[in-house]
Amino acid sequence: MKLLWKIKPGLSAILFLMLLLSACSGGGSGGNANNANNEADDAAGGAGGKEPITLRLTMWGNQNEVKAFENAIKRFEASHSNVTVKLESIPTDYDTKLTTMIAGNEEPDVAMMESATLAFPLAEEGKFINLEDYLNSDPSFSADKLVPHISYYAEPGNLIGLSPGPETFALYYNVDMFTDAGIEPPPASAEEAWTWDEFVEVAKRLTIDENGKNASEPGFDPKRIRQFGISGANGWWGSWSNFVYGNGGDFVSEDGTTFALNQPEAVEALQKLADLVNVHHVAPSPVQAKNVPGTNIALQTKKVAMVIDGQWANMDLGVTDVNYDIAVLPVIKEPVTTVVGGMFSIFKSTKHPQESWELVKALLDPEGTLELNHKGVWMPAIRSWYEDPALIDKWTKDSPGRTAGYKTAVIDMLLEHSRQTPTGYVKNFNKIMDIVTPALDKVWLGEQSAQEAMDAIADKAQAQVQGRRDIE
Amino acid sequence: MTTKLMAQGQSPLLGKAGTRSRKQKAFLYGFLFTLPATLGFLLFTAGPMAASLFLSLTDYSIFKDGIRFVGLDNFIRLFTEDELFWKSLKVTFYFVVLKVPATIIVSFAIALLLNMNLKGRALFRTIVYLPSIVPAVATSMIWIWLLNPDLGLVNTVLRWLHLPTGMWLYAENSVIPSIVLTTMWGIGGTVVIFLAGLSGIPNQYYEAIEVDGGGWRHKLFHITIPMVSPTIFFNTIMTIIGSFQVFNEAYILTQGGPNNSSLFYIFYLWRTAFRDTEMGYASALAWVMFVIIMLFTLLIFRTSKSWVYYEGEGRS
Repeated sequence: MKLLWKIKPGLSAILFLMLLLSACSGGGSGGNANNANNEADDAAGGAGGKEPITLRLTMWGNQNEVKAFENAIKRFEASHSNVTVKLESIPTDYDTKLTTMIAGNEEPDVAMMESATLAFPLAEEGKFINLEDYLNSDPSFSADKLVPHISYYAEPGNLIGLSPGPETFALYYNVDMFTDAGIEPPPASAEEAWTWDEFVEVAKRLTIDENGKNASEPGFDPKRIRQFGISGANGWWGSWSNFVYGNGGDFVSEDGTTFALNQPEAVEALQKLADLVNVHHVAPSPVQAKNVPGTNIALQTKKVAMVIDGQWANMDLGVTDVNYDIAVLPVIKEPVTTVVGGMFSIFKSTKHPQESWELVKALLDPEGTLELNHKGVWMPAIRSWYEDPALIDKWTKDSPGRTAGYKTAVIDMLLEHSRQTPTGYVKNFNKIMDIVTPALDKVWLGEQSAQEAMDAIADKAQAQVQGRRDIE
Repeated sequence: MTTKLMAQGQSPLLGKAGTRSRKQKAFLYGFLFTLPATLGFLLFTAGPMAASLFLSLTDYSIFKDGIRFVGLDNFIRLFTEDELFWKSLKVTFYFVVLKVPATIIVSFAIALLLNMNLKGRALFRTIVYLPSIVPAVATSMIWIWLLNPDLGLVNTVLRWLHLPTGMWLYAENSVIPSIVLTTMWGIGGTVVIFLAGLSGIPNQYYEAIEVDGGGWRHKLFHITIPMVSPTIFFNTIMTIIGSFQVFNEAYILTQGGPNNSSLFYIFYLWRTAFRDTEMGYASALAWVMFVIIMLFTLLIFRTSKSWVYYEGEGRS
């Protein structure tokens, strides 16, 4: 009893502290701690013209990207003197941290979003502003100013995000290895692109074993390969989607009701990619999570002659001591490149939708992030930058990340032969891929044919199909 | 016991002459000094645990407004419908079964070596401990390189020696052993604890064996192992708990592949919570793992009486 009495003051201290803490966190409910500040600011600055406001912007990216963003933000703040942008760079575990912010009702005004992860689950809960209203009513901007496939719609008419730039896929190669082998390098334009068989033939000649024999010669030892013809074609859906589309296949049927990766077009493409590893022995085993070695190292060390990778690889290649160039992907039926890329979205909870829209526009302006566009990691979002020679020069001239083949292999491919990322139109994409990706592991490893693997999971995948975003 | 002593005024801290006000003061100080830890525990461990227990009975998803109480639905779905739950449980058990004995045996062996009177012993100890202070991400990236089946160093060396090569992280049957291999890199912490246990063994026991004409085998099995059994006990429990919670390796090395054969439980839980944002369901997953770990810890505690030797108590 005495002990209890002694504890009492302590207990009440704890209770008091807890009360204090819960009061603190309670006060923050509704992302409005900072919005409340904004209102206070608004009131204070209300006297002269526009009220000073603060916008929070979250993004991921490396140091270069953060720096480029800071420049873009400075330009924006200069032309919008009443707006201060608070940039929160979250280089790792972005989705986890953003989710935590949302759970605490502390979401930012504008956020970079990833179409393969959080963007659509959030959109489906109505967390984002429909940018179409702004796009259509803004006299200085319109949809036809944008390059294809950088607009993300949750459903027709509901634009939830705009990408600061598209990223396409292409074929990178080490020029010296082709010269040394006396082989004509891959064509840079879609019209002249290699057929699949031509591509396999060249890949064979560039795959060399320990004894110096290449994969097209008798006596070639596939167990002891020192140089591979090609890498990067399998593993990630981003890479293999190019060939599924290029063979007329898709992830789901046109009406969005059926799982389609078990259909002949898709299966044939997947099998061709797996055959590169297991039948022709011209590609290394699939590497799942990380692209190791990176494209630049693989080409520089001459471990691989050709690599299929995204446009962004130009940045690292540009600063690597390697004589490389870029070409179009080999063609099964149609030349196709899949367009991927993050997007900027505006949270509905923002108190300043108009200013947020202005900020998104500024972030989409290639001038603001010119350094990234020039270095090679980004491409502009605005169509005129692909059509006006003076503007093209601005982001491609004198850049080590923009090689001879770039204009036709990347720019023209984007404008004429690009497809939207499946994450942008396949509903419930993650859950479908949770089933597809493990099954494809068996295909890449040569343990099952593409047909067997896709048939085996077709029912399970079908159960996760929920339709398409690009049709009513 | 302490309270009884305090009540009788015999607390060693206070002395016999301690008055009530001094006792109260001492209690207050004690209370204040433990307050940060207590508060930390309540706010950051006990509180969230209670919250997650509650959430595990709901369909809470961060993005959705409103929480619906669903009773045991999450647990029922987990045990009856969720194939990935069973798969991840199986994968994790396999990992634990390989990892725990490997860690205990290898780190004990290294500790024995490091406990010998060698030249440069301090240097060796540093070398063994060093990898465990390198961030997991960095070591994992290096392991990805080393274990790359076609271009990695390990297979290149094996090929050069005309030995069979492996697919390592990239085949279903070798991914878990490969991950266990990579984690062996970071057992320095366990080794250090073993070393502390080993250095606590009085020399006269070994001398007694020498006098009796025993060899190293007798020393190892009759002196060393019984004397460090509390340390083995501690390390085993810590390793089991740590192994059940394996996450980084799946997150960095494999993303759960190939074919979900490294889909560790906590990785699956994380994916459910933060990618699929099903917090309620993820909380249910977390509580199942909590119970599993508790059962295993309890089991080892129960059996410990028969194999852990505490000096002064004897074996019961």
